[in-house]
Amino acid sequence: MNFFQILEARGWYFFTTLLSGWPATLVVAMGALLFALIFGLLIALMRISRWRLLRWPATAYVEFFRGTPALVQLFVIYFGFPDIGHQPSPFQAAIIGLGLNGAAYLSEIYRAGIESIHRGQMEAALSLGMTPARAMQYIVLPQAVRTMLPPMTNFAIVLLKDTSIVFAVGVLEVMALARQLVTETLTSAPIYLMAGAMYLCVTIPMARLAARLERQRQAWQ
Amino acid sequence: MLQLPEIYAENIHRWLPELLYYSLTTLKIGFISFLLAVAFGVFFALCRTSRNRFLQGLAVGYIEIARGLPIVVLLYIVYFVPPQLFPDLNWQWFSDFTGAVLGLGLHGGAILAEVFRSGIEALHKGQREAAISLGMTPAKAMTYIILPQATRIVLPPVANYAIGLLKDTSLCTLIGVNEIMNGAKSIAFADYQPMAVFVLAAGIYFAMSYPLSLAVRYMERRLSIAR
Repeated sequence: MNFFQILEARGWYFFTTLLSGWPATLVVAMGALLFALIFGLLIALMRISRWRLLRWPATAYVEFFRGTPALVQLFVIYFGFPDIGHQPSPFQAAIIGLGLNGAAYLSEIYRAGIESIHRGQMEAALSLGMTPARAMQYIVLPQAVRTMLPPMTNFAIVLLKDTSIVFAVGVLEVMALARQLVTETLTSAPIYLMAGAMYLCVTIPMARLAARLERQRQAWQ
Repeated sequence: MLQLPEIYAENIHRWLPELLYYSLTTLKIGFISFLLAVAFGVFFALCRTSRNRFLQGLAVGYIEIARGLPIVVLLYIVYFVPPQLFPDLNWQWFSDFTGAVLGLGLHGGAILAEVFRSGIEALHKGQREAAISLGMTPAKAMTYIILPQATRIVLPPVANYAIGLLKDTSLCTLIGVNEIMNGAKSIAFADYQPMAVFVLAAGIYFAMSYPLSLAVRYMERRLSIAR
C-alpha cells in the first residue's frame, strides 16, 4: 500500500488516536505553565532583591536550569528521585520538570518586565506609604504585564512544543501515542506527519497572537 | 539517604571517560547541524527578503513549519518519514546521526533565517542605495556593504542559538543517536545509579554551555558599547 492508500484506510483511526493524546499534552503544558508562572515570579523577585542571600541562590538556579537540557532535568526527576525515596508519577515528573525549567526562563521575562517600569513608580508608591510588597503588587507588576505578555506568549508556545519530550518519562501524550501507533501498524509516514500537522494547528495561531501582542505593545509605547 | 559524594568517588573514574567519549558525538552533531542551520538560514533569509513572490512564499512556508513543529516531531519526521515515502531508493546511508543533523539543521535554519532577516532589515535602506548609486551591483552591495554591518547585529542571537542547539542535541537520543543522554541512560540503568549518573550528565552539559553563555554576554556588552 502506498502513502495515500494507508491514509484512506486507516487515517480516521490515526486521527482519533492522536487526538486522544491532546488532553495529556494540554494538562502537562497547563500544569507546567502554572507552576512556572508562580515559581518564576518568586525567582525573579529574589533576583532583584537587595539581599545577597536571596539573590545568589536564585541566580544559581536560573544559570543551572538554563544551562542544562530539559530532557536531563526530566530524567533526574523521574529516574533519579526514586534513589532519594520518592517515585513520581509520569505526570508529576513532567509537570515539575518542565515547570522548574520554565521558571528559570520566565523569571528572566519577569525581571525584564519589572525593570522596564520606571524607578519613579516604585519610589512614588513607597512615598505614598505602601509597603514594597504592595507597591510591587499594585503598581509595578500591573504595568509590567503589557511588556511581559508577548514574551510570555512565546514562552507558552515553547512550553507546548517541549511537552513533546515527556513521552520519554512515560506520559501518554500525542507523541507517545504516535509512537505506539507506529509500532502497532508498522507505518510511520502518515502518523508522524499527522502529529506534526496537529502541533502546527496550535503553534502557528499562537505565534500569530504573540506577534500581534508585540505590535500592540510597540504601538502603545 | 543518597550519598552522592561517595558514589562519585567510587565510580567517577569509570563514568566520566565514557560520558566524555559520548560527548564527542554531541559536539559533532552540534557543530554539523550549526553549519547546516547557517546555510539554510542565509538561503531562506535571502529568499524572504527577495522581491520574487514565489521565493518569499517558499521561505515563509518553510520558516512557519520548521519553527512551529516541536524539535522531537521534526526529528521523527525527518528520520522516519522519507524512507517510507520513497521505499525504492537506497537508504543505507541514512543513519540516525544523519537524521539528527538534518532535523536540527532544518529547525535551526528557520530560527536563523528570521535572525538574519532582522539583521538585514535593521540596516538603513540608504546603505544599499548609496552602494548601488556608487556603481556596485546588488550582489556586491550585499557582500561588501550590507553583510559586514549585519554581522555585528546578528552575532549575539546566533551565538545564543548555538547554546540552545547544544542543549537540543540531547533530544537526538530519542531517535537513537549515541550521544551523552544515550550513554548516561545505559550507564545509569546498568549500574542502578540513575540520580548520580544523570546529575553528572547535567554537569557535563552545564560545563559546555555555561562558558559559552558567559562569552556571549561579554560579546553582547562589547558590541552594544561599540554601536
